[in-house]
Amino acid sequence: MKPTEVDWQQLQTIIDEHRGDQWGLIPLLQAVQEHFGYVPPETIEPIAEAMNMVPSQVQGVITFYAGFALKPKGKYVLKLCRGTACHVKGSRSILRLMQRELDLKEGETSPDYQFTLETVACLGACFLAPAMMVNQTYFGKLAPTKVNSILDEYKKEKKEKEK
Amino acid sequence: METIALTIDGKKISCPSGTSILEAADQYGIKIPHLCYHPDLKPFGACRMCLVEDEKTGRLMAACVTPAAPDMVIQTATARIIKHRRNIARLMIAEHPESCIVCSKGNRCRLRQVSAQLGLGETNLYHLPNFKPLEQANPFIIRDLSKCILCGKCIRADHELVVVGAIDYNQRGFKSRPATAHEVGLERSNCTFCGTCVSMCPTGALSAKTSSYVGSPERESNSICGFCGVGCTLAVGSANEKVIEVNPAHLAQSINGATLCVLGHFAHDFLNSEDRLISPLVRNNENGKEDELVPMAWNDALDLVVQRLIEIKNENGPQSIAFLGSSKCTTEENYLFQKIARAAIGTNNVDNGGYTSGQFLTRVFDEKTDGGWRVNPLRNIEKAEVILVFGADPNHSVPVVSYYLKRAALQGTPIIVVDPKQTELVKFASFWIRPKLHTDLELINALAALLHEKQRYDSAYIDKYTEGFSIFRYSLTSLDLERACQVTGIDRQCLMDIVEAMNGKKIAFVVGHGILQQKWAMHSLGAIFNLSLLTGSLGSEKGGVYVLARENNQIGAMDMGNVPHLLPGRQALDNDAARKRWQKNWRVKLSPDPGLNVVRMIEAAEKGNLKAMYIMGENPLRCLPQPQRVQKALAKLDFMVVQDILNSETTQMADVVLPGAAFPEKHGSFTNLEGRIQSFTPVVTPPGNAKPDWEILDLLIAKIQQSEAYETLEKIRMEIRKYIPAYAQLNGQKPGWIAQTSQKALFHNPNADGLITFYPVVRAAEKSEDADYPFSAIIGSLRYHLGSGTRTNASQRIHGFDLFGEIEISPEDGAKLGMADGDCVKVISQFGTVQRAITLKKEIHPGEIFVPMAVNSNDAMNLIELTNLDDPDSPGWKTVRVRLEKA
Repeated sequence: MKPTEVDWQQLQTIIDEHRGDQWGLIPLLQAVQEHFGYVPPETIEPIAEAMNMVPSQVQGVITFYAGFALKPKGKYVLKLCRGTACHVKGSRSILRLMQRELDLKEGETSPDYQFTLETVACLGACFLAPAMMVNQTYFGKLAPTKVNSILDEYKKEKKEKEK
Repeated sequence: METIALTIDGKKISCPSGTSILEAADQYGIKIPHLCYHPDLKPFGACRMCLVEDEKTGRLMAACVTPAAPDMVIQTATARIIKHRRNIARLMIAEHPESCIVCSKGNRCRLRQVSAQLGLGETNLYHLPNFKPLEQANPFIIRDLSKCILCGKCIRADHELVVVGAIDYNQRGFKSRPATAHEVGLERSNCTFCGTCVSMCPTGALSAKTSSYVGSPERESNSICGFCGVGCTLAVGSANEKVIEVNPAHLAQSINGATLCVLGHFAHDFLNSEDRLISPLVRNNENGKEDELVPMAWNDALDLVVQRLIEIKNENGPQSIAFLGSSKCTTEENYLFQKIARAAIGTNNVDNGGYTSGQFLTRVFDEKTDGGWRVNPLRNIEKAEVILVFGADPNHSVPVVSYYLKRAALQGTPIIVVDPKQTELVKFASFWIRPKLHTDLELINALAALLHEKQRYDSAYIDKYTEGFSIFRYSLTSLDLERACQVTGIDRQCLMDIVEAMNGKKIAFVVGHGILQQKWAMHSLGAIFNLSLLTGSLGSEKGGVYVLARENNQIGAMDMGNVPHLLPGRQALDNDAARKRWQKNWRVKLSPDPGLNVVRMIEAAEKGNLKAMYIMGENPLRCLPQPQRVQKALAKLDFMVVQDILNSETTQMADVVLPGAAFPEKHGSFTNLEGRIQSFTPVVTPPGNAKPDWEILDLLIAKIQQSEAYETLEKIRMEIRKYIPAYAQLNGQKPGWIAQTSQKALFHNPNADGLITFYPVVRAAEKSEDADYPFSAIIGSLRYHLGSGTRTNASQRIHGFDLFGEIEISPEDGAKLGMADGDCVKVISQFGTVQRAITLKKEIHPGEIFVPMAVNSNDAMNLIELTNLDDPDSPGWKTVRVRLEKA
């Protein structure tokens, strides 16, 4: 999702839903990320104020969890599994292939905010090794041709929209 | 509390339940190594160095976070434990950069100490230092997080002790490090540079920045901080007779514990300033080189001073000489100083710099309570049920007090802040009242009237300890609450909420310069005093009145009679019996004529009535309003002696300059804002030929009186103890307290049965707005300078902080004037002008501006009028009407 000006009113509505909850920080951050696609850094201060915390604490929570991002991510987040089973089944070559195909390094987002390439320690889908996720969808038993066709699918979607 | 018994290393031990194994063992002399544990911080369990073994179950656990349980059998140093500890230390060292040779932590590094205890040299591990960028953009703290071992002490000290929250853990795993929000440099975060984290850091990850490498101190000695009135205990590190490092001494029962503030921690480099005076100087009148101060030997300089003072006394009478002493000098020095004036010269023209803070106005409380109110340990503020803060910004003026207040707030004590500015404390407050300027008196009276009207006062307390309540309540009923609401701009409901919050509670009143330097200061203090009686707070362990003292020995200077209207021991000069007692003590005749305070001294010099002034440790050209007027007045003097430590605006005008010593260079004692008497011994020797101030005064008094000198400080202390019962605990060794000598029943002295009367209810007159000067300027200080900033400006670190003292303006006024951050503005009052850049701040109320003191030679003083703070017509020194022009 492309970074845009933070809609402060929208943010306020989200914050107000969680204001004063003793353990509400993580649900609040999730709601913010759900809405904006990431946690915009400028929302840290208002969130901290509402949760009666200091900004450095809120930032600490955001950066602790891999699930929260302070930078905008692509429309499609590709999470390639680099767990033991997937490694044995050749996920390193899959990663190299994806890096070449998308012209992205690990952790990077494409300039058009279409793709983000990430690796994770284990997706818990070892029986499908080598596996990856695109947003919430699993893809298993990957091979170069399969990866290419998956990537093409998502690239096509973008091109169709542009038409 | 329940006591439990357990066994540690074969020793039978008992401790209260809830004690951690580490603390229980420590009490019995069993030392368990640790890195992340600190007695003032909550248990954390990060480093795992304090592993111990439960013999019964064989479990290993961290002693700092495991509470001792009944019948536990603990081993602290089995082979298994040592093996694990060695492995933890090995891993830490493997990740640590090998820069020990240039690390200023040196052998004080806890990681090195613990490794040595474990007999660990080479780790035999592949060395994998985790390099992080070095941060040293600010002049105070260097952060080399490559050396961080993630013990979290800095973060916890920041959150739990000083309650700022500038840093927290960021990221995780190998990337994890303490960081500010948005990972900006400390100088761009809300860090206050109190340096508590630096003192806590077990390794060299955090260190104090110095202009060049100083290594680690040769020795460390304890002292008392000479900046603000809190009186923190310091561990001063020195090398080659120079102070190179300051840390909190962390003694039991000390006021500051493990904390300090930016001045206490970092501004002591002023001691090594090139502006230090190192030799007596005398204005040379020969060879046509009139305007030059030239060095002279001590004896000759003192002879000259004595000769000129005697000449002027004989010619114009003793009243033509005035003595301005210092609230920064020691108690003993203040005693000698006023003794020279009163006993040797014969004038009551003595005052000290505490005047500028309105310290002398606290005589309202003294008179009403017979001095009983004065001992107020800050520890009790944690027991207060409500804290009411009037016109005080302790985060900037006396930071360690603000730590107490913020910690109390975190524990749930409601704080009520009365301040026109949204101070940093407001974030921690339950209520924030923003009365219009100059209306504090009406506000306080209205609260008292409402407490009375709704019968929310402590009648049992009032019956037992006070008298004259019937008259007082009558004046309260005659107050017009509607008018008070209108004048203060606070509605009745809000006042009602405050009164409900105060209902039945013991209250700690914290009073700052917003009251003390403000118009009608004395009446406002009286009204606060009434509130403290109505709520039954004064004299209670859970309440009291805390008047914030800006300078280290304001209290001691006043106690020693370094004010015109009081003899030593705060006995009134116009009290014949007291005066006779002192005549007998000193074997001289004392003048009953009231003396001049510092403002009257300047006025007398202006008129030519004052011929000579002896100024010790004060810089009136910088700390008094209307500096140009002060300069003209002082220029009219025939003779001016300045005894000081730094070359200043005032020493430049002197005929004789005598170089004194700063507090780490001499023996002495200070009395802090709690009423605690703390003595200290020298850490280093004074620079050059400078002498401790008491020695100079001792030589002078002996020369003038042609008597024997005291020669030792103990003799002076003996005299003080003998004649001033309140200072019986001034002993030069253990810290003591001002003794309770009040004859009022409230303070529980044996045989004391006096009752306390209320302060009369004074109604303030209406004031008219001045259309030519549509804004009100509030003059206040920032935490990086103390008072007028004579000493703090000589600190290289403070200087390096690029503090411009931008004038703070509300965004609304900024928009109206068409001005943005960084624009230059001319602030014009009836008395002078200040020109500076502005910064827009939402903390400022429209129609008001904030002008920070102590920058640009303290030019903020140009704006205000030099008036007597206790004069009913005085507009005070805190605010002034101004207009703004774009510059």
